[in-house]
Amino acid sequence: MVSAPTLHVVTTELAVGSFAMAGIGFLLAGLGSHGWLGMKRHLQLADHVAHFALAFGLLALPFAIMTGIQSSPGEGLDHPLLINKMLLGSSAFGLAFGVLLARRSHGADVWTSPNGRRWQALGGMGAVGMVLLTASLGGTFARGESLLSWLPVSFDSVPLMPLWLSAGLVVLALVNMGLMRKQQSA
Amino acid sequence: MNRSLLVFVVLTLLLAPSLGSANPNGVGSGTFDAQCGGACHGDADMNRSSTATVVVDAPSVAYEGLLTSVSVTVSNIETTTTGLLGFFLLSDLSGAGDTPADAGWTIVSNSEGGSENYVEAVIASGQTQHTVHWTLRAPPVGTSTLHAAIHHGSEDGSEAPFFGATVSPTTIEVVEVPEDLPRLATEFEPPVRRTVGASTTVALSTEHVSDVSIEWRVSGGEVNTVSVTSVADDMWSFELPASLQPVQLEWRAHLEGDGPDQTTPWFQLQSDEPSWTVDETAAYVQSLAMLLVFMVAFLSLQRQSTTTVKDFDTFDHEEVA
Repeated sequence: MVSAPTLHVVTTELAVGSFAMAGIGFLLAGLGSHGWLGMKRHLQLADHVAHFALAFGLLALPFAIMTGIQSSPGEGLDHPLLINKMLLGSSAFGLAFGVLLARRSHGADVWTSPNGRRWQALGGMGAVGMVLLTASLGGTFARGESLLSWLPVSFDSVPLMPLWLSAGLVVLALVNMGLMRKQQSA
Repeated sequence: MNRSLLVFVVLTLLLAPSLGSANPNGVGSGTFDAQCGGACHGDADMNRSSTATVVVDAPSVAYEGLLTSVSVTVSNIETTTTGLLGFFLLSDLSGAGDTPADAGWTIVSNSEGGSENYVEAVIASGQTQHTVHWTLRAPPVGTSTLHAAIHHGSEDGSEAPFFGATVSPTTIEVVEVPEDLPRLATEFEPPVRRTVGASTTVALSTEHVSDVSIEWRVSGGEVNTVSVTSVADDMWSFELPASLQPVQLEWRAHLEGDGPDQTTPWFQLQSDEPSWTVDETAAYVQSLAMLLVFMVAFLSLQRQSTTTVKDFDTFDHEEVA
């Protein structure tokens, strides 16, 4: 029987490896779409690699989260780092999913307009950066150190919103999503 | 130029690991085989020998299925500036399948407040000796051996990890339990953790016991007694006092009955500050809210962006290799 901590290492490496590759892909695609550093000819390759790696990372992420919860000592969310890890992880998941959905909706046109290519590259890299920061919080929690410990950001306090505000944001986001779909189908 | 750059990048990647120090903050308590300690990425043969002395102390006889106490004392301690020292309790030193559980022992508690065979203690500056206690349930009848090992870093963290082990193991003869031996019930699990400021009521279940007395002490301090109430046949209850700060309290029971009187090993009870709590529902809903908000915000942003004028062909297929 393989223990949860061992499985967590495997799934985390799978997710983080995919996201790291996606990050490089988005960087190259961003450079290529702007025609910088002679990268334009690699845009198609970078675009495909970035989005495929991001999608694969998103598939691996739930397994990393589930095994992470199972291997966590103590009961439930009993440490600020764990809450911040969850909030950051879900934000990254949302952003990454948005990047993928945008690519699916608009196709390769996301790279054709100045703002489109800028946001697609920045959104992809932002999602990857947030996932890597989330993973580094795991190292801080388990071993008291991580590769990103030098960042001047403290995760010892939790920016927790009131329940009504969170619920309001959920409703607002769902309404927004519904309106977008309605306009798309019209 | 490109070849020089490639060589530079490869050399940088090859040399980068030597700049780091493996797990300077430890790996935390766990159930680990010898030498591994949760950090199996390096070859164990690369370890250097620790100058510390490791001694494991246990009774020569234990009763099958009953609790017994084992202590590991390390002297001439050398460790890192963080003071972390990893203690292993092992059934052999083969490096695989050598935890006490692999030899039939069950760890009930250890003096660091857990129930694992590997614990990390923080050694104060100038301290040269430290002891960790384990309470174990004995395996089936037979002769059993227990080893202990340690691992640690060097003072400045610049050298290879150090490993040390007992020169000779302790041998324990596990014998059958005499029928009328006063003893703790097999199902009894002593509490190992509690919060500061809360007293602890222990429900003690026994077998063949007519009278119980309880002693407790703050680790290494003066021994006190508490009154014990008989709840039912072979069921007893007593209350251990609250502690005002994080401290380790030890208690043991003297059991009287028809058979020879018995004294249990010292059980460790660690008190900690109350754990940090949060409204989990609010956290989960906020998590969902952030997921949706980030997703919808990005989709809205891209929806507006892609409707602006195109100034660029998507892919220049002729140039794609």
